[in-house]
Amino acid sequence: MKLDFAFIWTAFLQLLTAVPTALAITAVSVFCGLLIGTAVAVIRLYKVPILHPIAASYVTFIRGTPMLTHLLLIYFGLPILVDAIAEAFGLSFRSVSIPMIGFAYVSFSITAGAYMSEVVRSGLLAVNRGQIEAAYAIGMTTSQAMRRIVLPQAFAASLPNLSNSVIGMLHGSTLAFTVSVVEINAKAQIVATTNWKFFEAYLAAAIIFWAITFMIERLTALAEKRFNLYNRGGVS
Amino acid sequence: MIKLTQIRKSFGRNEVLKGIDLTVEKGEVVAILGPSGSGKTTLLRCINYLEKPNDGQISIDDFNVNCKRPDKKDIHTLRGKTAMVFQQYNLFRHKTALENVMEGLIVVKKLPKDEVRQKSVELLEKVGLGSKLDAYPSELSGGQQQRVGIARALALNPEVILFDEPTSALDPELVGEVLGVIRKIAKEGITMIIVTHEMSFAQDVASHVVFMDGGVIVEEGKPSEIFNDPKEERTKQFLKRITPEGVYSI
Amino acid sequence: MAKVGEPFDISYVFEYLVKLLPTLKITLLIVVSSIVIGLGVGFIVALPQLYKIPVLRRFSQVYLSFFRGTPVLIQLFLFYYGLPEILKLVHVDVVKVPALYFVILTYALHSGAYMAEMIRAAVGAVDRGQVEAAYAVGMTGFQAFTRIVLPQAMAISVPVFANLVIANLKDTSLAFSLGIMELTGKSQTLAVMSRHFVETYISLAIIYFMISFGLEKLFHLIERKLLKHESRIVSEEKETRVKKAKTRRFAVGLGFTRGGRENEA
Repeated sequence: MKLDFAFIWTAFLQLLTAVPTALAITAVSVFCGLLIGTAVAVIRLYKVPILHPIAASYVTFIRGTPMLTHLLLIYFGLPILVDAIAEAFGLSFRSVSIPMIGFAYVSFSITAGAYMSEVVRSGLLAVNRGQIEAAYAIGMTTSQAMRRIVLPQAFAASLPNLSNSVIGMLHGSTLAFTVSVVEINAKAQIVATTNWKFFEAYLAAAIIFWAITFMIERLTALAEKRFNLYNRGGVS
Repeated sequence: MIKLTQIRKSFGRNEVLKGIDLTVEKGEVVAILGPSGSGKTTLLRCINYLEKPNDGQISIDDFNVNCKRPDKKDIHTLRGKTAMVFQQYNLFRHKTALENVMEGLIVVKKLPKDEVRQKSVELLEKVGLGSKLDAYPSELSGGQQQRVGIARALALNPEVILFDEPTSALDPELVGEVLGVIRKIAKEGITMIIVTHEMSFAQDVASHVVFMDGGVIVEEGKPSEIFNDPKEERTKQFLKRITPEGVYSI
Repeated sequence: MAKVGEPFDISYVFEYLVKLLPTLKITLLIVVSSIVIGLGVGFIVALPQLYKIPVLRRFSQVYLSFFRGTPVLIQLFLFYYGLPEILKLVHVDVVKVPALYFVILTYALHSGAYMAEMIRAAVGAVDRGQVEAAYAVGMTGFQAFTRIVLPQAMAISVPVFANLVIANLKDTSLAFSLGIMELTGKSQTLAVMSRHFVETYISLAIIYFMISFGLEKLFHLIERKLLKHESRIVSEEKETRVKKAKTRRFAVGLGFTRGGRENEA
């Protein structure tokens, strides 16, 4: 079988229809992951009693097990949980009405949360202790100090790790095919089996991911430039 | 005898060495002085080819290297005949003091381990570190590390030892111990070329002083000549800035 | 996937833990083979960058960008379907080659990209003065690299390497999609048969967790041994440099320096 270049283009166009789904999965998991991650990071940094070991175990567990395992656990475990709660509270909601993509959202958010907590934690730790001391010294409240001094610097410091995590979640979205969500990988499988052109279809998929990853990296580079203007370490 | 002929070196468009001619007789201790950017360190590093000269010739006794078309083997041989003591000591971090001194002999000269070990222990005792044989560089002070560096250089039994500002990175109170060791080995007749800022040390130890500025040798001669009666204007200016008025005694 | 399952029964967790263990062999085989080959790949890819070899350097950059810019699952499918096609062009018939070989190769190439970046950062973190001293003592380039630079580079890259190995372990869970009976694949078979899905996957998670936990402890010990020559503060500084260098952006076109998906803070 020879390589069908024309088909790569056809496949590419067909796969584009799945891109919004992939991006949606990525966006939701990153966003929710950040919320969870920030909470976890704060709990760990301030060593909040009782919650602190739970948070630490959560992070260790998630980082020590594959993302696919999380998905499988949520996919089969969440309905049991949801149905149990619904029955206990007499709600009419049943887990069968959760759309497939919902499981992806929930599971990936939980996965992302653990990695994001490390991103947030390292970003905050990167800010010199002296900064917040100086802020207090000029009379700022804690919330002002956080908002105006600490968080902007923490954000700039965390950009590389944040970018890595976003790209990681993008690549991870391919796992959603196991729960029948038609994202890019699943679509590639459909296109491949329908036309019996496997290599071309997956090549097109690879190119799409490569392009999106590249764009995210570019954006991050720009963001780093913009946010790191004050950071004149280095040679130029 | 070490002979440098018309050594030239440029970094990009910046010509750092503009044709250096220098002869060092066996047993001489040559001090090279000069302001920053004069090219003195670059010249030193050309001798063991850590910098690659663009033109010129380097010869050690009968051995000759043409810098325009150097042979890889020649560079290797050249490095076998020379040894260097670095400003930042550059001891092998993951090896003990003893292993540092032994390394060159085992790996490069391929001598038997027991013989090497004995010689290395003797050398470390000579520089006053007999009790620190198994210490790692991270456990030693700057002065101690530099003395290990000197022992490492001595172990190779080179034709010449090159010293690149050996005390510049040291805390003031540690400079003395290192200069003491250098003074000691100078008395033993080993050929040495020392780039340094320590003027009184240079006066004391050197048998020949070279003053460089702007990539050329401005003046050279015996220490008494250079320090007490410099002929060139640039030499006078430099010495005035470095030494306080009227303190050139021999 | 049909979801109607049997009621939760915790005894299945323990039963399946035992049933899954034999399959651990396959998973570990994939991990070890792909890491070993990946290290080799990593060195080959890193060399042009370290020694600034003109044309090959570009190839390295493209290689790194591709293998870190596309999902490993896509790579698995791509090589499984594509490699036989490409090899047909040079009259090599790999139709009978088991899928396992393709899988190991793909993981090796994938991990190799991250290894290359790790090697580059680690070698860069070793003080230039060490190399100069090695040359001054008379060593050849090869001797300087193997005796002086490499031992020090290895010591500081242990945490990063540990992460890459654990990431590789987790990535093997995708191999089932090519029919490989590794841990995840086997667990799915068991789950479908008994319809005790949650229990099975809890066992699965426990096994993965124990292996990665064990690996982390092991690497920690190795790191302590390799760094015995450094005072604690210095070694931590160097590790930070390696980790930071991994994620630093290089301004050149395609971004090649993204570290592992599972980023270490």
